[in-house]
Order: sequence, then structure tokens, then C-alpha cells
Amino acid sequence: MFRKVLIANRGEIALRVIRACRELGIRTVAVYSDVDRHSLHVRFADESVCIGPARATQSYLNIPAVISAADITRADAVHPGYGFLAENATFAEAVNAHGMTYIGPSPEHLRQFGDKLSAKAAARAAGLPLLPGSKGAVETLEEAREVARKAGYPLMLKAAAGGGGKGMRVVEDEAQLDKVFVLTSTEARAAFGSGAVFLERLLRAPRHVEVQVAGDRYGNAVHVGERDCSMQRRHQKIIEEAPAPSLSEGLRDRIRQAAARLVASTGYVTVGTCEFLVEGDEFFFLEVNPRIQVEHPVTEMVTGIDLVQLQIRLAAGERMPFEQSEVRLRGHSIEVRVNAEDPWKLTPSPGTIKGYHAPGGPGVRVDSAVHEGAMVQPHYDSLVAKLIVHAPTRELAIRKLLGAMDEYVVEGIRTSLPLQKQLLDDPVFREVRFHTRYIDEWLRNRPG
Amino acid sequence: MDRKELDALLKLLRRHGVAEFTLEEKDVSVSVSFLGAGTVPVVAAAPLAAPPVAPSAAPASAPAPRPAGDSRAVRAPIVGTFYRSPAPDAPPYVNVGDRVRKGQVVCIVEAMKLMNQIESDVDGVVLEILVENGAPVQFGQELFRLSPG
Repeated sequence: MFRKVLIANRGEIALRVIRACRELGIRTVAVYSDVDRHSLHVRFADESVCIGPARATQSYLNIPAVISAADITRADAVHPGYGFLAENATFAEAVNAHGMTYIGPSPEHLRQFGDKLSAKAAARAAGLPLLPGSKGAVETLEEAREVARKAGYPLMLKAAAGGGGKGMRVVEDEAQLDKVFVLTSTEARAAFGSGAVFLERLLRAPRHVEVQVAGDRYGNAVHVGERDCSMQRRHQKIIEEAPAPSLSEGLRDRIRQAAARLVASTGYVTVGTCEFLVEGDEFFFLEVNPRIQVEHPVTEMVTGIDLVQLQIRLAAGERMPFEQSEVRLRGHSIEVRVNAEDPWKLTPSPGTIKGYHAPGGPGVRVDSAVHEGAMVQPHYDSLVAKLIVHAPTRELAIRKLLGAMDEYVVEGIRTSLPLQKQLLDDPVFREVRFHTRYIDEWLRNRPG
Repeated sequence: MDRKELDALLKLLRRHGVAEFTLEEKDVSVSVSFLGAGTVPVVAAAPLAAPPVAPSAAPASAPAPRPAGDSRAVRAPIVGTFYRSPAPDAPPYVNVGDRVRKGQVVCIVEAMKLMNQIESDVDGVVLEILVENGAPVQFGQELFRLSPG
């Protein structure tokens, strides 16, 4: 097991990793930018190193600074968290080249799943269902037209190197394809450094269902159940739950097993997430997130498995500590992401938190790095807290969550909570009639 | 300075076994370092822009800022290991009492095996060297205290 882990991140996920390390008996090193010197991750880590100024490219994204901090503190492993350098194969390579362990998959797997086309190729090889569309990059407009005729409109035209909802366009018919094909490729080259684009069928109202997976170095691959993250606003998840509600048991099993199959066939090590789109009784591979995810707590709540500890143990070369048959989901868990933003205009709302009270009680969990007097920095992600509840049923979980949200006091900045409260009270959420574009449509049609 | 003058200068420096040399005049600036037995290769990485000096903004675990008074600080522009000289057996770049000019190399901070030469961003006389040779330094940590002038 590792002696000392450097956490190349900030905010709630840095605290989450510190907690996992503490329980495993591992010392921790926090890194921080000079505006974060009073942050909780700096206070709670065993050691801390200032690595640069506020601008992330010069601190949290600065590979030489992070590696240098690990060198001078003699850390033997680096945890990337999520965001920042978490899916950067060059960073993972640099960590390994300096004789340390990267707590995540290999650089090869980061590359394989970082590119949408090679990720799809791996999924195809493992027999996972893919959306109809092009097999690889589409080079010319003529080729795009032919693929489109076979797959059928409407289609999504996507940048192979894109992500996070960027670099994609809806194409309704051939006339539109003619108009946007070259443009999208040019944009992709400018934004992501690669002009490669591909086509796939557009689903009008899909649900986003993702499977938590894990693999060890000895060929063991498991799934740890699925989550539903369809409640998205502009492609950003804001409410997540486990297990995914209202899936037929047959479909649920097929999705879980497909994800575990992909881990087994690629030899993926540590934890990750395999994302799918679900429509009717069909599901399609979307992508793999080769890291711990923001919404991992809902899976922890229903399985009792500490996913961050599992990730660290698997990275250290341990065997999978349980078998597939031992993974059992109990009850229902829902998470809301508390973002520092105007809930209706969706503009960021950084500033100092003047008053703060976090909810509590049985089955209520808050993962956060803020407190009264904390400064929510304008330089970084607007996520200030995650509120997670666990209850025997989905209905009770919703009730518990609404109560916890009423208890949550955050003064001095605006948060997304009023938006999420209305959504949780909405019959569409309660009756599981939502899909990935539901919130955006709901906001557009909202009176006022 | 033309090519001939530069050649002559290099010959002179070699003859006297000088390891490091910096010359700065109104319209010329020359920095020479000889790599030889016993010296650490110095990568002449362009030093990162030094952070704005903000005495109230020292990192939490860095040495507490002294009362500023009339002195000023040279701070670490990057995180790494602090070295006072270009090689283990070479003389330090600067000692207490030395006059330092803005742009003059005062130490090395090693990051990822790269030896980054750190320049002073102010003129002054070295009052105090705040970090031990070979010690780790953080971004923004004070390395030297200089008197103004």
C-alpha cells in the first residue's frame, strides 16, 4: 500500500480523497493555488504545497508544478480527483516516469477512452451496442451523406476529441448536413486540435444510465450497479440517483453486464464509469469516464462500498476485495449538486459564504469543502457541495432530500438549490418521465 | 558587442576557469555558463514571470512574512528544490551583502529535473537568505530579503 498520496485537486473531491487515505493509513499531501491557501483540503491534509497562482493553467493544470510538489514531498502516488488533470494521459505518464503510481487507469487506457472513436471501437469489439452511424471518422461530405442515408436522420455530428457537450451539432436532414459538415470539422480542429468528426443517430428523448465499474490487475472485472443521470441542464448533470428507476430487470442486467464485459475485454484497472443512452428497451454505449466521478456517492450509499478506497487499493495492486455476487444494492440514493450560480439565469455566483448550515440526520450526507467565511473562487468549477440522501425507497429518498434542502442554509452567494427543489417536486421527476433534454425544455417553457 | 568581442570574452572566461558569467550593460546582456566535470547542467529555461509581490499573501505554510520595512523579497516563481549555486562545488550565486541587480540570477529552483535559473526582479543588497540550500520551496515562498537600492 502507498505511504503518501499527493492529491492533485481541490474542493470537495480533495477532501473526499483525504478521508479515504486517512482510513487506509496513508499520509496525504495537498497542493493549492495561492488563492486557496485557506481551503479545507490544505488544512486537513498532512502536508501542503503551494504550486502556483490562481489561474488553473499555472497551478492545478500545471504538470511540472504538480510533479515537482510530489517530488519534494516524496509522495509515492498521485490521485487526480476529477476534472483538472484527471483524464490527461501525459500527466499519468509523467507520474509514472517519476517513479510514482497514478491512481487511475494506465496512460494507454486514458488515451483509448479519451478519444471517442477508439472508445467506440473498444466497445464494438466487446460486443456492446452502439448507436447507428459511422464506424470511424467521416472524411468527406460524400461519405457523410452515405452514412447518414443508412443510419437515418436525425443525426448527431460530433468531434472525435470533443466532450462535455461541446463540439456537436444536430443534423435533421441532408441539406443541413451539407451546410454544417465542414464547419463542424473546422471548429473541432480549432477547439480540440483534431478535425476528426463522426456521425451517430440522435435519440430524441433518451435517458442517461451509467454503470460504475472496477477492474484489478489480475483480470477481475465487476460492475457496482448503475446510476441514472438524465437530469441534466445544458449537458451538465444536476440530479443523480442509484439505482436507475423504472428499468425492466432484463434491461438493467443487460446494461450492467455490458459494462463489466468492456472492463474485462480491455483489461481496465481501478474504477471507472461506462455511460449509456437508454430509449425504450434499447441501450447504446456512449463513453467511458476513466476516473472517479462527481456522482460516485449515490453508488456508495446503496452498495456500502467506498469507491475511493477501492480505487486506491486497486491502483496499489490489490486484488478485487469482493466478487460480483457480493455487490448488492440496498434502498435508493439521490444526489443534488449544489452549484454557486443563479438558479434561473444560470450565471456563476462566486463570493464569500456569509452564513452556512448543512443539513443532517439519518441517511443524509454532505460532501463539501465550504463553510461560513469560505470564499467561492471565480477561477474554478462552481460546485460547492453535494447533498446525498439514502432511504429504503425512491419516494422516501425524495421526501428526505426535500427536507434536507429546506434545512440547507447558504448565504452570501446564490445556489442552484431552488431550481432542484422545483424539479424534485415535479411529477415528471417523481413518475420517471424525464430524459436528458427535459430540464432545458422545462426551463424554456417555464412562465416568467 | 560583436562576434569577435564575444569570442575574446569566452576565451578570457575559459582561461580563468569561470563557471558562470553575467554581463549587463545598457544595450547588451550576456549570460554564460560552462558545463564541465563536476558541474550540474543548467537548463537556461526562461524563468517564469515572478508573481506580483504581495507581502500579505504569503502561503500558509511558507515562512511568515516579516515586517516589510524598507526591505523587499525575491520569491520562488515555481515549486521545487532550492539551490544556491549552479553545481554542488560551485560558489553560490549570491551571498549576504552582495549587490544584486534586477534580472541577475540569484539561485536555482529544480522542478522535474530541470534546473530553472531564478532572477531577481528587483535591485538591492542581499540582507538575508531565507532558505537552506537543497530545501524544498513552494510557489510564492520568500527566498531572499534585499534592501532597496
